[in-house]
Amino acid sequence: MIKSAPRTASEAVIALKKLSSEVPVAAVVLGSGVSVLDKLFDPLVLPYQDLFGMAPGVAGHSGTLTVGRIAEGGPLVAVLRGRFHLYEGYDWPTVTLATRAIVEWGVPNLLLTNAAGGLNLDFSVGDLMVLTGYRDHLNPELKETGLLPAIAKPTTDCRNKLTEKLLSVGEVLAITQSPAESRPLRQGVYAGLLGPTYETMAEIEMLRKLKADAVGMSTVPEMLCCDGTNTTACAVSVITNVWRPDEAMGGHEEVLEASKNASQRLDRLFRAMLAELG
Amino acid sequence: MKLRNAKRIDFTGTCLEFDFFEKFSDATIDLIRNEEKAEVVIVVDRAFGFAASHLKDNAAESHLISDHLNLTGDNPLVGPNNPMGERFPVVNNIYLSAADTIDQEETWTMGNPLSKLCSGIVAGVKYGAVPGPAELDLLYSMGAHFYNWNTVPTMIIAAHAGLKVLALAVPEGGVLPDQVLMAINR
Repeated sequence: MIKSAPRTASEAVIALKKLSSEVPVAAVVLGSGVSVLDKLFDPLVLPYQDLFGMAPGVAGHSGTLTVGRIAEGGPLVAVLRGRFHLYEGYDWPTVTLATRAIVEWGVPNLLLTNAAGGLNLDFSVGDLMVLTGYRDHLNPELKETGLLPAIAKPTTDCRNKLTEKLLSVGEVLAITQSPAESRPLRQGVYAGLLGPTYETMAEIEMLRKLKADAVGMSTVPEMLCCDGTNTTACAVSVITNVWRPDEAMGGHEEVLEASKNASQRLDRLFRAMLAELG
Repeated sequence: MKLRNAKRIDFTGTCLEFDFFEKFSDATIDLIRNEEKAEVVIVVDRAFGFAASHLKDNAAESHLISDHLNLTGDNPLVGPNNPMGERFPVVNNIYLSAADTIDQEETWTMGNPLSKLCSGIVAGVKYGAVPGPAELDLLYSMGAHFYNWNTVPTMIIAAHAGLKVLALAVPEGGVLPDQVLMAINR
């Protein structure tokens, strides 16, 4: 059964304006187990239940929106912890509801995060990959056609000024911080799959042939939703495992653990990035 | 309904609508797994569009399925998770190979009939879709050796329930060799 959110984006924006009269400089969406920007200055918290009329049901997502400043007098940001997924049975309007509310609120920048499986064999667990492109293998339209048209399509290039800024901030951090504190940012193509099953080895090999570097079950709807709007979106994948033929596949617990370890580096990256945006 | 002491349960036919299929799987797989401690589902299904590399004398033969590509654009586990399995099932390595049935080979003086079958990767495409030549080339280039409609959703349901799958692809107009049928029965 397809599930729909009881609230519209416009209704959510009314609640957001009541929460904060100032529009944040950026919104940040956190995926499974990704924990950054925990301590904001003057935080205001709104549960998804109050904002959207429903809460996410997947472990690793708390389901809250927090508005606060990254430091005293610093830029205002909105942090969304958790999202609604197609694999949970939510429809496309629900999966994109938070993003549409952010766009309608007038937030100029959207930073998306996700936990992703690494396809690129040069990647290591805990790497951060900035998306330079994505593949849409989860669009509900594909239920009507099957996946062949999506496979035949080229990768969508999603590089923009926000991506470039994120990469340049990451370069500076890699130079100025110790190796223990920082790793060079990875760049690559994210393949968004419907889930909820993880990929078979044959599917992993197929995605590698399509030049995808990481695979997950989110983010693409939000990226698509920002197309043609005044909100610029970029995304970072936390690489939680790397699919290798000689290693056993992990499960969701492994995803959550790897996300936790990479979160400190992602926190430093985002704080530096947001300070520049402010 | 009780199935205690049954050594084998046969199902003939396929439920194609996922909503109904889900209910079907809940009832049957829960029954099989919890009451009968079943470990293996044997799926025998038609397959089409065999790659030239998997033809013998220009004719398709029955294959053991070694892995799959889910190209249906859907997944039967979409929706609230049935607690019989994980929210995010790992579906690798659930297809049994002939080698996995080797313990039975000792009982066969002529060897394990399953080991005489070729293995291949099936592409599960949307039900009723018949890929044209260009689409078949695309499937082959992505690693598939043939396609069908029902094995992949069935296998995903089985994997979610913690069952291994022995999957056999039978070409259109073909039948399983007698020795393979005997091996399955054993």
